[in-house]
Amino acid sequence: MDTLPLLLGTAWLLPLASFALILLFGSRMGKAGRGAGFVATAAIVAAFVLSATALTVWLSAHPIEAPAGHSSATADSAEHGAAAKENHAADTHASAGETTAAKKIIPPVAGDWYELGAFGTKRITIGYYIDALTIAMFFMVTMVASCIHIYSFGYMHEELSEVTDHQVTLASGQHLHRRGRFHRFYQYLSLFCFSMLGLVIAGNIAMVFVFWELVGICSYFLIGFYIERKSASNAANKAFIVNRVGDFGMIIGLMAVWTGMGTFSFGDYEMKDAQGRETMRPGIFSQARPAGNDFQLQAPDGMVKFAKRDEIAEIVQKSENAADAELQIEKRIDGWRKDGFGYGWLIVAGLGIFCGCVGKSAQFPLHVWLPDAMEGPTPVSALIHAATMVAAGVYLVGRFYPVFTPEVLMVIAYIGCITLFIAATMALVATDIKRVLAFSTVSQLGYMMLALGFGGWLAGIFHLFTHAFFKALLFLCSGSVIHATHTNEMPRMGGLLKKMPYTGITMLIGCLAIAGAGIPWIIGLSGYYSKDFIIAQGLVYQHANPLHGWLFYFSVAGAGMTSFYMFRLWYMTFLGTPRDKHVYDHAHESTPSMLVPLVILAVMSVISGWKVPFTNLELPALLTQAIPSGTEEGAVSNLTKFYIPAEHLSHESGVHFFATGIAFLMALLGFVLATAFYGTKRLDPNDARRTFATLYRIFIHKWYFDEAYQKIFVRPALAISGWIAWLDKNGLDWIADNSARLMGLCARLDDWFDRKFVDRLIDLVAAGTYRLGIRLKALQTGSLRQYVMLLAVGLAALFMIMNFYWNFAMSKM
Amino acid sequence: MSDFLTTLLSSVIFLPALGALLLCIVPIRSDRFIKQFSLAVTAVVFAITLWMAWPASSANEPGRFALGMANMQSMVLHEWIPSWNIYYFLGIDGISFPLALLTSFLSVLAMGASWPIAKHVKGYCVLFLLLETGMLGVFMSLDFFLFYVFWEVMLLPMYFLIGIWGGPRREYAAIKFFLFTLVGSVLLLVAMLMLYFNSDLRLLGPQQLADCRVVETKDAPEVQNILKDAKPVHTFNILALAEMGQAERSPFAQALWLGKSVSWWAFLFMFIGFVIKLPAVPVHTWLPEAHVEAPTPISMILAGVLLKMGGYGVLRFCYPICPDAAYELAWLVCGIGTLSMVYGAFAALAQKDFKRLVAYSSVSHMGYVLLGIGAWSAYAGNNYNADYWMWGMNGAMFQMIAHGLSSAGMFFLVGVIYDRVHHRNLDQFGGLFAKMPLYSGISVGIFFAALGLPGLCGFIGEVFVVLGCWSYSTALAVLAASVVVLTAGYILWTIQRVYLGAEYKGPHGDAITPITFRETAIAVPLLALAVVFGVYPKAMFDYMSPSIDKTVNALADWTRGHEKQKSPGDIIIGGVTPRIIIQEEEEEKLNPMMNDE
Repeated sequence: MDTLPLLLGTAWLLPLASFALILLFGSRMGKAGRGAGFVATAAIVAAFVLSATALTVWLSAHPIEAPAGHSSATADSAEHGAAAKENHAADTHASAGETTAAKKIIPPVAGDWYELGAFGTKRITIGYYIDALTIAMFFMVTMVASCIHIYSFGYMHEELSEVTDHQVTLASGQHLHRRGRFHRFYQYLSLFCFSMLGLVIAGNIAMVFVFWELVGICSYFLIGFYIERKSASNAANKAFIVNRVGDFGMIIGLMAVWTGMGTFSFGDYEMKDAQGRETMRPGIFSQARPAGNDFQLQAPDGMVKFAKRDEIAEIVQKSENAADAELQIEKRIDGWRKDGFGYGWLIVAGLGIFCGCVGKSAQFPLHVWLPDAMEGPTPVSALIHAATMVAAGVYLVGRFYPVFTPEVLMVIAYIGCITLFIAATMALVATDIKRVLAFSTVSQLGYMMLALGFGGWLAGIFHLFTHAFFKALLFLCSGSVIHATHTNEMPRMGGLLKKMPYTGITMLIGCLAIAGAGIPWIIGLSGYYSKDFIIAQGLVYQHANPLHGWLFYFSVAGAGMTSFYMFRLWYMTFLGTPRDKHVYDHAHESTPSMLVPLVILAVMSVISGWKVPFTNLELPALLTQAIPSGTEEGAVSNLTKFYIPAEHLSHESGVHFFATGIAFLMALLGFVLATAFYGTKRLDPNDARRTFATLYRIFIHKWYFDEAYQKIFVRPALAISGWIAWLDKNGLDWIADNSARLMGLCARLDDWFDRKFVDRLIDLVAAGTYRLGIRLKALQTGSLRQYVMLLAVGLAALFMIMNFYWNFAMSKM
Repeated sequence: MSDFLTTLLSSVIFLPALGALLLCIVPIRSDRFIKQFSLAVTAVVFAITLWMAWPASSANEPGRFALGMANMQSMVLHEWIPSWNIYYFLGIDGISFPLALLTSFLSVLAMGASWPIAKHVKGYCVLFLLLETGMLGVFMSLDFFLFYVFWEVMLLPMYFLIGIWGGPRREYAAIKFFLFTLVGSVLLLVAMLMLYFNSDLRLLGPQQLADCRVVETKDAPEVQNILKDAKPVHTFNILALAEMGQAERSPFAQALWLGKSVSWWAFLFMFIGFVIKLPAVPVHTWLPEAHVEAPTPISMILAGVLLKMGGYGVLRFCYPICPDAAYELAWLVCGIGTLSMVYGAFAALAQKDFKRLVAYSSVSHMGYVLLGIGAWSAYAGNNYNADYWMWGMNGAMFQMIAHGLSSAGMFFLVGVIYDRVHHRNLDQFGGLFAKMPLYSGISVGIFFAALGLPGLCGFIGEVFVVLGCWSYSTALAVLAASVVVLTAGYILWTIQRVYLGAEYKGPHGDAITPITFRETAIAVPLLALAVVFGVYPKAMFDYMSPSIDKTVNALADWTRGHEKQKSPGDIIIGGVTPRIIIQEEEEEKLNPMMNDE
């Protein structure tokens, strides 16, 4: 087990090394930077091997023992299945002890690599938190990323030579010619892989946030990969800024956690106390769900104290010293907690963190960036905007699950449900092949959120994995089509199956997987299992909270819509008669480097829900090991009186039987409708469009979110900034300039006064002296007698005066 | 040892001035040689400061910065004007030394960026070197009077550098800069004299006197001379003033005007003086003007170093010397900080001029510094726990260094393109990535550092400040956090308008040539440091945090003592608590319990 941090840490840093190498020497790597592709691919494949090794290490330490999950619809669980239907609340408590006893708590491997900062008694570190979820994510991310790295050799080969960008017209009227940027593409991919793996391995929520932003910036670079295209750089900006709105909420959550818990660390950690002794301190999870409280959620001490600041202030004022006050506060904390203090801050923390997830996972109301993000090259859409980065939000909800209160889970469920529905409606009418897939991604992410909000941790996370495989597959297939046809518009395709059989078949597998196809109650593709989990959980939830039942109905409707728009896509692309002769003639099957990843992902899409033969190993069972302690028993909200049902209830055979039936029926309905409209053409889509003209307009305009945001946020922000700039120039500066002018006026006034009065006085004195001189001139007569006379009189006078003063001065001495 | 330290610190400060003097008296015609000589001088100064910063091989190596030491070190004290108790008193600690290091580092880069200067090169270099002396002196003086002298010394070269070598409206900008700063200086002078005449060394104990270097040791005969003096013994010693300010019976607590104490007025005057320099809204309007008109290297110095003096002053003077006023006015400090952040970000969003945009981003980023310093999270409501404030203050300090790197970098990069195309209109750029790939790559890196992207230096400061602030006031923290959206907005929009796009849209398109070796050598170290400090911020915190933590702890202890004296009714509880859960009945439930205890 000690090797896990080393293995995964190396897997994490390899792409970083690749990024650094390509950044510095990329353009010199082989012809036109082709070597960069090999460097990056080698790094990610090595990371995959390391992750796979880590998985075996983990499994050898924590073998999957008893069969769990849906395949274990055995008799023993059936007996309290009956009880479950009677009273969920009672069951929650009755089974609580039993479940914890049955489930061996597997401690995560957690630790720190180095400190970012440590002041006082708190610190923020770069560390790791490894449990089954981390390892499974590593496995999935490195695998999908490896496929996409290989695929990109084919898809991006144009970038190896001079590129003519037909979408950019210069002022001269010509199309843009530019050098290829093959190595840059792989450079960003490597940086992305590093960031994504860092996000997954992160040992604390601050480190998650660090890599959260980094995947965001990679996404920015890759969406805007065609920097010359205005639409691409607009989409990149939009993606980053909309994500920042979510991050703003996430920062609030971080602050609430930081102040309320004094740490960001997920797991317990060691730190020196004031006396220099190493002491264990509780991490976020232990504080929110202390083992002493049977892993039930409670407001951490810090949050309680923060909520009772004024009362604590009084205590502190009255007590003798700090330690004394601390003792008194300690005594009161439990009482305050019972009265509900601090719980509000727990909600704030949960909602804040979830805000970040809303941004990253493109949930309503921040879903607007994802469709535009399709401006990026298709492999990027597959890796970042389908399989991994956008799923990071779901991953974080799963990771942070122990801290979410039932109220927050309800918000998550509602957001997920709204998202899945509106995104599905947009997918129904979109004609751009990538956009259909983008809307579908948003919708599926909504599913995952909904499942998590339903209390189905396993359901949501399981769907994350299966979705990663089949959605990456679907995107890569669409990339293959786009590569062959040079268009994204499905109305210009059609009949491509003959030209591109491999792409067509693998894409069909992807469609079947996402629709949840299978032989009911026996076997199915991966989506069949994960969607069942969600529907089953929804069924239980709906049963427990009839008031919120519509969440369930919408999710069921969503399943039907998913099936419909996926098959619509497939039919429009691959079947029927070619609608654009030119496009059809030029279409060709892709190169093996692109087809091999398709086949690998198609296989994964089929089998990732299955059990490995002759073992107990299956994905849900592995993930079960990571279910946060205390969350598996469900919860009751005291504020609004509703229940988060325990997840094991949804695994009861009765519930599952029913859920599978519903899911299958809905998928079938969607399939049949799609076939009727686009396969056999029995129904005309144009008729439907005319009949539901208003709805169609809303859907095709994406519910007018972009327009509304432009009016509500962008323009006001620009207007405010305009006002402020104006105020700065004409308000504050006006004051400064005018006070300077006033000073100038004072100076001139002073100058005037100086000239008119002060100077005048001097002039007058001067003039007086002059005039006196003129007058005295009369004395100069030339008469010697008169001179002698004056001399004598003067001398006498002088003597008299001197005599007088001399004595006076002498007497003073 | 003392002689060695005197030589060391004095040479750091006065070598540039000496260089300037040499340039004045030695008749050199070659502009190129003058620039090389000046560059060499700044490089030597940087080398000395770097030597001081390098971790010592053995403990207690004189002159080397002792990591982990919170107190002042390498102190140098000589009599200067004894009749007024003014000393030539220098020293460094974790707050001043990183800034001094930043100064010497940026001076080298800015001198390197001065190569395109062609007008009156000798005069330019002389003034530049004088400016460096002033800046280093400001950060290293521990005597208030000496500090003030350096503060003013710095002002004049800056005035001429903008006024002679600046752009078309240089005279207006220079005078505006000069007048604004002068107002601050006058207030600072008044505050300094107020503090001087109210100070009294007799209030300090022998140990404190020795700690503040008023006397050599606590057993020195001068101690008794001071303590037994019949008249108050005034001082300009910053450390002694801080000791007095934080003493239980502070000499600055007496009422002065309008029922407010000496401390209150001194704080206000100093605060205004420093905040003009920082600058914060509403006294920031000199900054965009000065930046737009100043030549590139001067903009780098202005943004990289001069603005930091505001933050340094608040941290070094306002808070330790006048804690009661700082405590009372914490809302003002934080409010102005947050206002600057939001206002600066909005104003930046509206700019059309590249340099103005960067200038407003400075206003926004320096707001974090004020917020981090001001968020007084050690209050009765959390039992005077200093932890969160420490995060805020360390974050603020880090933000100063980080902003010093990123803003200097941004101004330099604007200068690089301005030198080629001679305009700064944001709407007339575009497509630079194709023509100047290396330049654009570096630019994007530095702009992202300013955006606060993790892994680059801007992130750490901003996040630590915001984290520290929540416990003081949730409302301000939320406002401060919201700025991340605006920052992303204006930075990304700028990148899009300048670097991305298909082709260049402005005049002089032919003049756009790839970045030269000299320019690369200036920009790359900035980016490299931005990455290093972003990935391993401890490299910086190891220097700073002992001193900052000590300052914060002292102030937190002071708060406890201060509130003990007051009646419980006046306590400031901290921020606003939204009580989500409490309902009326629950509050009633609580009351009987309170009565029991």
